[in-house]
Amino acid sequence: MTEEALLKQSHQIFDELFTEFREATKLTKPGKAQKLINRIDMIAGTSAGIEMLYDKIDELEAAGIFEETAWIDPSKLVSGLVQGTIKSGHPNSTYELLSELRILAIARERIKHPHLSGANASDFLQEVVVSNLEFFYNDPMEETRLMMSKHELQKANVLFGFIAQKIELNGIKKKLADELELICLQRPVVTEKQRKLIVLIRKRIKPDPGNPDDRKLLEFQYALYRPTLSTEGKDTDSYKVFLESLDVDQLEAEAWEMGESMQKFGLVSRFHAVLLRLLVEKNHKELVPTCLSLSETGRVKWLKHEAFIADLIQRVIVPYNEQCIYGLANILETDIFSREVIRTGISNLFSIRINPAVEERILKTTRAPRDQVSSQQYLIGSLIRILGQPLGVRQGNNPTCQSARGISMWSQFAPARLINMLQTAAVHNDLALRFEDREVKSSETGKGLVQTLDYNLDAVSVTLVPLLDKIYNEMMIRASGRGEDPHKWVNPALYGQWIQVGFASAYDYLSNAIVDFDGFTRIFYAMCHPEYNGGYRLVYPNPVGIYITSSQGEMLGFHAISLLRVEQDPEGNYRAYFLNPNSEGRQDWGQNIRPSVFGMGERYGESSLPLHEFASRIYAFHYNSLEAPRFVDDIPAAAVKEVKDLAKNSWGKSYVWIETKKKW
Amino acid sequence: MAKCFALLGWSLPVIESMQKLGKPYVVVSFPDFEQYAKENEIPFVSYRFDEWSDSSNAMDLLEQLKPWNADVAVPLFEETVEWAGALNSIYRDDPRVFNRAFLFRNKAMMKRKALIGGLRVGLFEEVYNKEGVKSFMKRLNEANLQVQGEEDSWVHIKPFAAAGTVGHRLLRSISDVDEKCQDEDFPCLAESHLPGIEFSCEAFIHGGKIRFLNITEYVKLGYSNFIPEGHHLHSRRERILTEMQKLVDIFGIEYGMIHPEWFLTEKDELSFGEVACRIPGGHILELAGKAYNFDSLAAFVQCHDPNLSEEELNEILPPLNARPEQFYGNVMIYPRKHEISKLEIPEELKEEPYFLDHNLVPPLSTQKISDRSGFGNHFGTINFKGPDPDRMTELLIHYENVDFYH
Repeated sequence: MTEEALLKQSHQIFDELFTEFREATKLTKPGKAQKLINRIDMIAGTSAGIEMLYDKIDELEAAGIFEETAWIDPSKLVSGLVQGTIKSGHPNSTYELLSELRILAIARERIKHPHLSGANASDFLQEVVVSNLEFFYNDPMEETRLMMSKHELQKANVLFGFIAQKIELNGIKKKLADELELICLQRPVVTEKQRKLIVLIRKRIKPDPGNPDDRKLLEFQYALYRPTLSTEGKDTDSYKVFLESLDVDQLEAEAWEMGESMQKFGLVSRFHAVLLRLLVEKNHKELVPTCLSLSETGRVKWLKHEAFIADLIQRVIVPYNEQCIYGLANILETDIFSREVIRTGISNLFSIRINPAVEERILKTTRAPRDQVSSQQYLIGSLIRILGQPLGVRQGNNPTCQSARGISMWSQFAPARLINMLQTAAVHNDLALRFEDREVKSSETGKGLVQTLDYNLDAVSVTLVPLLDKIYNEMMIRASGRGEDPHKWVNPALYGQWIQVGFASAYDYLSNAIVDFDGFTRIFYAMCHPEYNGGYRLVYPNPVGIYITSSQGEMLGFHAISLLRVEQDPEGNYRAYFLNPNSEGRQDWGQNIRPSVFGMGERYGESSLPLHEFASRIYAFHYNSLEAPRFVDDIPAAAVKEVKDLAKNSWGKSYVWIETKKKW
Repeated sequence: MAKCFALLGWSLPVIESMQKLGKPYVVVSFPDFEQYAKENEIPFVSYRFDEWSDSSNAMDLLEQLKPWNADVAVPLFEETVEWAGALNSIYRDDPRVFNRAFLFRNKAMMKRKALIGGLRVGLFEEVYNKEGVKSFMKRLNEANLQVQGEEDSWVHIKPFAAAGTVGHRLLRSISDVDEKCQDEDFPCLAESHLPGIEFSCEAFIHGGKIRFLNITEYVKLGYSNFIPEGHHLHSRRERILTEMQKLVDIFGIEYGMIHPEWFLTEKDELSFGEVACRIPGGHILELAGKAYNFDSLAAFVQCHDPNLSEEELNEILPPLNARPEQFYGNVMIYPRKHEISKLEIPEELKEEPYFLDHNLVPPLSTQKISDRSGFGNHFGTINFKGPDPDRMTELLIHYENVDFYH
């Protein structure tokens, strides 16, 4: 059956069930309501379904769908409770969804309600939308993903996409501006979230330049649509014609303005690509550093590799692939291009033939017109973004924190390896790694953790992640049954030699309990706390396993992150700075533990927590087995207790704790 | 026309059908339902069917029903069959109506009656302990000329008076008797295993004649069935109707609906299993109502009324030879794990054109699952609808084996 026929039939059955529900007396209504709500649950996963439900919402309400439920009176509903109900699953989430559609109908004055005015309904929905933006982007937090099924997530995503297009957004302008700022401050590699929100605001809000909140929103609009004054009212073609009429001084001013605009939020406008290409093509290469807003260091690097980079710009950077310009600017501030292997690796990527399956994955990550950018340009552009923003790698709506963490680590410490892996994966749609002297080939392994990839990722990730994910899973299988956490062997094999040999796990496989958490915490501090480890800083990222806890501190599941550095924050407290491949800057892990993403000394893309709070959530990490043990006895008991109390009163409640001392 | 129907047993769908019908009725059921009945203006007499004493008996109930002018009693559940029989024997002034009710409540008596009347039945016996079952199985082995090393003959044991598959056990060997039988199973009926495909009939009877016959094809007893019958059974419909009328004649049933189970072998032998005269399990009447497009519950109730006119009968029942174009089937879902924490509706079901609805409820938290008994304690039903009975059979077999609860 075609999708259309199925949809039609599904709606027909909905009508039948709805008729039965309508005709039932109150004696059998609950039973019919159950069947009806189950059908609504199925329909609600598509936008056509949501539209149909919205069209019928007044009839559904009149027929009594909300009777005998908590949603009976819309004027008594609380916007802050919506998210919890949506996360609690069907049937609650389905009633909640219908309730939002009813309030939307009230806000748009299609339904008149005696106790809820259109204006109040609109306010309610604006609050709901702004506190549920993760569903709007379809980029859920780790907690959300652990709690909700795929279908439930899809329902929420479709619902919020629908509502956001239909309501007033004027009441939440400040919150939307804050939200955009929060995302941009993390400088993610994939900028779809910001762009989606900026497009929505552009369609739905008429900013008033006199109002400070609106000015902020305008700045975001400008970053994409009017990066320089001269781009006002132009499209890329007419902008190009305009640029051709400028003299060198005017071009320099234009390049400067363009570079500044990009640095503001890390967002690149399509006009930027036009300008940059023109500078290279028309032999104004000396203006490129200005156009990229480079520092003195960056300018030196540019001069050194001018021919290589100019070629790269011409071959890769086109409108629709413009975001990689920001990555390029960042790379030039580092030493990456100075390495011959990197330049060779990138040049090689131009001559490969991309495997059709990989090409399909790459093209799915973008909505740009197919004839404008080739999959090769996307792939190399994406590589540039990742090399320039290694801490901006994210996992999207995929349970693949391990692979995302790997890509981020390699782009910082083994970029040549990353490029080489990328080349193999792109050509063969396959990868082979070594695990304990045996080859692990992704094409010869079973399933990975991810069954259907969410394509809201960069092109490097969609090329590598499905393969890495399977290899990781296979390594985990091979290393299981050894009475210890398999990550002890899998992490070094997967990520590389800089992973320390020592491995500490709070969880003991043999006794199925948390054993000697004191000792575990001592080793942790001895590994990374500058006051107790001899004053050393971390050199390489440490792959750390953490417990994800809810805002009530309850254990939800496991997550992989990397500890990047431990340093004093602006207030003088020791903080852990880490990469969370799934961070959105508003997480709440309970016990007042809220990872921050800016303002506490974080670099773009980092999350941070006071060190003891961070320590209270970890269950596994690597350490130098020759260094750390000699410091363990110097760590004050009070520091250990502080961590243990937090751990025991949160995720620790799900485990038995054994205090026997263990040799670390 | 009946002055007032006394509905014995609590069933909201039946009450709803009666409300829509607009004929007078009164519900007789346990005191637990009194409050709800009052709040919803349902005519109600509170009675404890599980108590027999000087003050709780049919004569007392008769008195209590007098203010309502009740003159037709309708049993909705197995446990109210003899109460209805007692009341109707008085209403109709025929003591055998009461005796007949016992036929439905004692499976050994039921089988003897069928055997005397000339229906084909399996070998059966009343047994009082495990030894009795073993002896029965041994005699059956002898009769089947068992050679050493061959499997034992299969034996079923069933309580004398329980609905459907409640307490029903299949014993495949002498050692099964020790392992599966409990002391509280006895006394009960032991019978030989009847081969063939199993189906049930729902015959609406008035004036001793079958006025409408539905055949329900069992895909798996206790799990799934569909209506109307598939192609093969349908080709035997005339034969089935003849045997059904024979059953009605032998049992002397005049009014109401009977729900017997039959077995049809490849050699076209038709064997009688057992018969009930209340609302069948497995949502059969719900499916029949949808397939034949009639109010099966209102018809069920009204067929008990001896004064129903011919016109009324024609109006409330589908024609005897009706053959619906759409098949309605269902599968009852039982968790297949001992502990469950979530419900997952598979994508393939959502995309299945025959899928109609389900009423599965997600577990509130992790919960342990106890063993099932009869058609009871299933977690919900999935309904299908479609034009091809073979596809329907495939679907029901498939979904019986799908894990919805994890």
